[in-house]
Amino acid sequence: MNNAFNNLIIFNGYPLAVVVAVGLHVLLLAGLLYLQSNNEVEALELVQPTVITALFIDENPQVRNERVIERQRVQRQQEREEQQRAAEAAAAQQAREEAERQAAEQRAREQEAERQRQALVEREELERQRAEQERLRQERERQQEAERQRQQELDREQAQAAERQRQEEAARRREREAAEAAAAQAARNEFELVQSATGLIQQLVQEHWSRPPSARNGMRAIIQIRMLPTGELLDATITQSSGDAAFDRSAENAVYRAAPFSELQDLPINVFNANFRSLSLIFEPQDLLN
Amino acid sequence: MNEISPLQLILESSTGEKLVMLSLLVLSMISWVVIVQRYLVMSAAKSGVSSFEERFWSGMDLSQLYKEGTRIQQEDGQVVGMETIFRAGFKEFMRLRQQSSVDKEAVMEGAQRAMRVAYAREEEKLERHLPFLATVGSVSPYVGLFGTVLGIMEAFIGLATQAQATLQVVAPGIASALMATAMGLFAAIPAVVAYNRFTASLDGVTSSYIMFTDEFSSILHRQIHSN
Repeated sequence: MNNAFNNLIIFNGYPLAVVVAVGLHVLLLAGLLYLQSNNEVEALELVQPTVITALFIDENPQVRNERVIERQRVQRQQEREEQQRAAEAAAAQQAREEAERQAAEQRAREQEAERQRQALVEREELERQRAEQERLRQERERQQEAERQRQQELDREQAQAAERQRQEEAARRREREAAEAAAAQAARNEFELVQSATGLIQQLVQEHWSRPPSARNGMRAIIQIRMLPTGELLDATITQSSGDAAFDRSAENAVYRAAPFSELQDLPINVFNANFRSLSLIFEPQDLLN
Repeated sequence: MNEISPLQLILESSTGEKLVMLSLLVLSMISWVVIVQRYLVMSAAKSGVSSFEERFWSGMDLSQLYKEGTRIQQEDGQVVGMETIFRAGFKEFMRLRQQSSVDKEAVMEGAQRAMRVAYAREEEKLERHLPFLATVGSVSPYVGLFGTVLGIMEAFIGLATQAQATLQVVAPGIASALMATAMGLFAAIPAVVAYNRFTASLDGVTSSYIMFTDEFSSILHRQIHSN
């Protein structure tokens, strides 16, 4: 009867049973701990994606403004160049005409001399008459000369006027450039305002956007929103569907839930009118795991 | 959080869940205590059956067997199983036989009654705690499931406050909720297996007790009618 079992079942075997059970659970916990430390060794690098990107597209008022200003500037530049070319062409024409006239006069003078010489050789007796005629002619010539001088005077005056005009033009241009620089400065300030406001809207909408399970990376919905200067939302319409109705609806809901954008009240009214009356938002998830 | 381990999940779960898991751990511990203790008792009973049957059928004189048992009992107080039945029956038989006024049938009846009582006591000893194992085996999966439901509720309540319903927000909550089910199963499976095994061996041992009782009473019957 004195076998091993009799020794084991002292007090009905309870002490041994307790020891075994506790040991088993401690062993299990140790196993879990071991698993954990193993996990730590080969720690999986879980990629934490950026939450969401709602981009403001094309309709971005700042970009649009800049583009318009750029276009206007280029147009003005072209106009100026055009004017300059025209002025140059006119000046060249004038110079040509002047030269022709002078050449013609030269020819006339030469002919006149020839005729005088012939008259001197052929008709001595008519010299006086000739001289008279000559005098008359010279008189006429003088008159013509005076006329010509007057003409030249006139031309000079015209040239001076043109010069004055050019200078005025230049002054005007300088003024315009200064004004443009000032406008650019103003636009930069405006740009900062607009950017902070857009950032704010983007953030608000992003916070309120809960995407449906059917959302996939690469989907793209564009919502056009119209706002009042108080930041209240007038309406939001889907201008470009992503193809998934639930996704479109979620984007629209996000806008409605994010409204009103009361921070827009602080914007100057002209900035608001130029940029935030109507705004397009792109909804484009990029962080999904599918 | 770039990695999740089971321990972390347990630590990050809600209070209700922790309570459920703690109770499951306690249940599991107790059921393992019972399993080990029952295993020892069953093994002792089985080995006691085989060793006593060997001694009983070895042709030894019954009164000498009884005296031997008495000596063991005085030494370390450990007389178990079949021997207890034998001693109860034999003691009653001898006591009744010495009273001459009692007739033979009454002696037999008394001995059989004493053996029945001893048998019932032995059987009760063997099947003690087995219902506890059965309860743990059937209930702890439900307890674990309850913990899981609590945890998933918690996870979804947390999800309601989030702007974006990403998988990363709910995943840890649901994983730690599932931990409760895992622990429930961990407690239940050994309990069920042990319960089935112990009831089977209990049947074996008790049927051998009954057989022995019958055989021993037939021996006593022969003895009382031989003289």
